Amino acid sequence: MGSSLDAILFVAAKPVPFLQGWEAQRTLQARLLANPGGPEALLLLEHPPCYTLGRGASDAFLRFDPADPPAPLFRIDRGGEVTHHTIGQLVLYPVLNLQRHGGDLHRYLRQLEQVVLDVLDRLGLQGERSPGQTGVWLAGAKVAAIGVGARRWISQHGLALNVSCDLSGFAAVVPCGIADRPVGRLLDHRPGLSTAVVAPLLLEAFSERFGVRLRPPQGAESLQGW
Amino acid sequence: MATHEIFMPALSSTMTEGKIVEWLKKPGDRVERGESVLVVESDKADMDVESFNPGFLATVLMPAGGTAPVGETIGLIVDTQEEIGTVQASAPAAPAAAPAPAAPASAAPAPVAASAPTPVAPPAPAAAPPAPAPAAAPAVAAAAPAANGRVVASPRARKLASQLGVQLDTLRGSGPHGRIQAEDVLSASGQPVSVPRVAEGTAAAVSGAPAAPLNGHGAAPAASAGKAFGRPGESVSFNTLQGAVNRNMLASLEVPCFHVGYTITTTKLDAFYKQVKSKGVTMTALLAKAVAVTLARHPQVNAATSADGGAMVFPASVNVAVAVAMEDGGLITPVLADADKTDIYSLARTWADLVARARSKQLKPEEYSTGTFTLSNLGMFGVDRFDAILPPGTGAILAVAASRPAVVAGKDGSIRVANQMQVNLTCDHRTIYGADAAAFLKDLALLIETNPESLTL
Repeated sequence: MGSSLDAILFVAAKPVPFLQGWEAQRTLQARLLANPGGPEALLLLEHPPCYTLGRGASDAFLRFDPADPPAPLFRIDRGGEVTHHTIGQLVLYPVLNLQRHGGDLHRYLRQLEQVVLDVLDRLGLQGERSPGQTGVWLAGAKVAAIGVGARRWISQHGLALNVSCDLSGFAAVVPCGIADRPVGRLLDHRPGLSTAVVAPLLLEAFSERFGVRLRPPQGAESLQGW
Repeated sequence: MATHEIFMPALSSTMTEGKIVEWLKKPGDRVERGESVLVVESDKADMDVESFNPGFLATVLMPAGGTAPVGETIGLIVDTQEEIGTVQASAPAAPAAAPAPAAPASAAPAPVAASAPTPVAPPAPAAAPPAPAPAAAPAVAAAAPAANGRVVASPRARKLASQLGVQLDTLRGSGPHGRIQAEDVLSASGQPVSVPRVAEGTAAAVSGAPAAPLNGHGAAPAASAGKAFGRPGESVSFNTLQGAVNRNMLASLEVPCFHVGYTITTTKLDAFYKQVKSKGVTMTALLAKAVAVTLARHPQVNAATSADGGAMVFPASVNVAVAVAMEDGGLITPVLADADKTDIYSLARTWADLVARARSKQLKPEEYSTGTFTLSNLGMFGVDRFDAILPPGTGAILAVAASRPAVVAGKDGSIRVANQMQVNLTCDHRTIYGADAAAFLKDLALLIETNPESLTL
């Protein structure tokens, strides 16, 4: 895979409310739908505490009343069950034309897992996949959640990697509908680790695995509020 | 005037079926070209499915929440509002149309044993799974080839027709508007249609076996050919489940395993099984129960080495997983939780439910990943012995072969005929030693040979 593909990189300087991040993805997705040959894009950010549900997700995995959630709750257009976002968790939203990357949604999920495995590897940690499930586990605890949505093979949503976040928010849900395995974070394996350290590793791993060259937005490519 | 089909799209080369998360349009709604009509989910990925044609969504053949094989027609779009009524009148309503377990592409049901060392199917012909009604019966048979001479057939039907040498234009389709379905092609070529998606022992193994089964778990498979996932000369990628199994099997190479075999006389068990099978008790349930009761008294054999290799982990309950081969490749191990404490009738019902949901890929992770001990049975194929690969995270797996009449010599020199089966226990030697395995097998044999009636208590 040559690195001839360009992807516009948007890195948020401060936490982005969920709806604002979603809006940014939809804007980028609409641009790529209108111009499928155009540059792909990548959003890297952290969200303030919130919960999101995939389109087909079950309320049964919420341990709270959906009408009165402990943090904002959104039902969104991705696959998968409930998950939790919070500060200290790196969220990567690739807006890609997946037909340039194999046109295979399962393969895309596996590639996203591989990106996380690569990051862990760079930190000297050995992550693993769990057969039949999507995500990345470290020492038996899930450290990365993955869920994507696509329209005409243009992707949105992506992966969330728990770096140094407070894990207590996960207790209010059954993350990804998997009740029997805990959620973990990298900080517990690499004391002092921060998202600032992991972010460049994540971008580097993504760039390599997907064969895209990351570059800042130019002119009209910029997004309002970024 | 025309009718356009919406197919279940292939979102991945490893996707065999997809779940309809949501219909964004309802019957009667106007649809623009390129507009999203529904959302399909496979794994953790959603994809909007768009209409290639402008028109009206006339009918939904598979409702939200339903699962359809790739290539199956799931909705119909018509050009004009006037055609909606016509199509709705002739197309079966959604639930009725839910295609009976779609016949897998492989032509005939065949034993799954060939490939991997552990693929396993439970025994118990008694549980005869609900054999799907023969190919959606000709109830909906509609006018054969459309008046304009165009043959309407599903993609799989076309593929099968070319493989089996069936002329599509000679068939009457049983699908909506006389559309020719895979099942129609299979019927026309004389192939069996009702192939379960999971080779869970029974139907494939039992049906038509001319020689009477030796006993409850010894029927020979009826199918004539071995299963293959590809054709000669092809190279076929592993599907997701096969890949998962592969990783699990490779992980076992890190485990110091050994095997201990035992021959168990099953004459009494077989006789007892005949008595209780009318009450819905299956051989799988009996074996699982026997193993569970014995494990409860041999906690060392229910234990496993911790992931970091530093400890022996003793589970709080006895959860017996039973390996089931999937028709489209790979295998899954549905779990009978607390099998030692659950009555045999509940176990049999739970097992039937687990297998049905494994077929439709509806099992929750905790329903196939929480086994503390695994049972693997190839008895229904007449296998006389085999050994199984240890699933990660557990300490032992029992391979159960066929029960067959054997000439048995007594210590006193007497000779008699008895049903016997060989079992073979694979153990992680870090946690389970030879003496532990032997004591467990001895007790299991004693229970099965002398007191099978106690399994219903």
